[in-house]
Amino acid sequence: MNIKKKEIASEIFTGSMADISFLLIIYFMITSAFSATRGLDFALPEETDTPEIKQEDSIEVHVLPGGGIEVDKKSMPVEGVLPYILEKLQENPDKPVILRTDPEANYGDMISVFDRLRRAPEEWTDDQGNPLYKDVNGKPLTEIKTISIPTQREIENIWQLLGVG
Amino acid sequence: MALIRGRDRGTGAQIFTASMADIVFLLIVFFVLTYKVEVDKTQMNLPETWIRKKVPEKAAVISISPPAQGSTIRVSTGEEMALPVSTIEEVITFASTEVAKNPDREFILKADENVQYARVDEVLDALKQSKAKFIFLLSEQLTADQK
Repeated sequence: MNIKKKEIASEIFTGSMADISFLLIIYFMITSAFSATRGLDFALPEETDTPEIKQEDSIEVHVLPGGGIEVDKKSMPVEGVLPYILEKLQENPDKPVILRTDPEANYGDMISVFDRLRRAPEEWTDDQGNPLYKDVNGKPLTEIKTISIPTQREIENIWQLLGVG
Repeated sequence: MALIRGRDRGTGAQIFTASMADIVFLLIVFFVLTYKVEVDKTQMNLPETWIRKKVPEKAAVISISPPAQGSTIRVSTGEEMALPVSTIEEVITFASTEVAKNPDREFILKADENVQYARVDEVLDALKQSKAKFIFLLSEQLTADQK
């Protein structure tokens, strides 16, 4: 006796695929964080190669509470900082810039000044990256070589060494 | 004069859905690739800067919450969720441990723009004491008109 077997069509049921896909999209949309992944970088000096910086050999930028700025004890707007530093570096390109922030000032104020100092290469070169200024030795001046951010403890240590305060 | 003979055939309005699966899968692939677990979810206003460099992945994170939230310091190795610390000594211990594992370890400082600098100074000092070398100050992009 011949028994005819009914062939069962093998199919993958895809009807719910759209639902699953949309659920996955919603999950990733909600949980993915569009987080900030960029920032200002700076390297801390190693203690062995930290040179002793004298106040008179440096340019001191002091950020005051409220966002005011004093450069070498002279009050000036943030736009005036780079031209002043350029003038000083043209005389001595190795002069370090010390960025000192008042403990009462806001972090945002300090960052905006630090950002301004880091923009020196952009402002001191033309669109093709050619230097616009030269130092006394005729060498191109395109950046601030050293920007130091001392902490309050380090400043107090220096003051103690100098017998101030 | 009747121009249409017989039964009026309605034109079935259909939305073409054949490409929907492709679009959905493209979106899924996009989200899977860009998915990142944020180790510190503290809501804050980051300072805005023009110069911005990409922070390294898996760098250790130290965050300082806005003053309204008590300027709390949280630390994370970059792989697990950030945990609050109560003293600055704990930050020194954390950073020293990370630097001991990898002397070139990078640290991300994520702080609200309204935090008092004294608080940031404490953290920077802790990182200096821990012999950290590379720090990234997390920021948002400054727009051209603000420049």
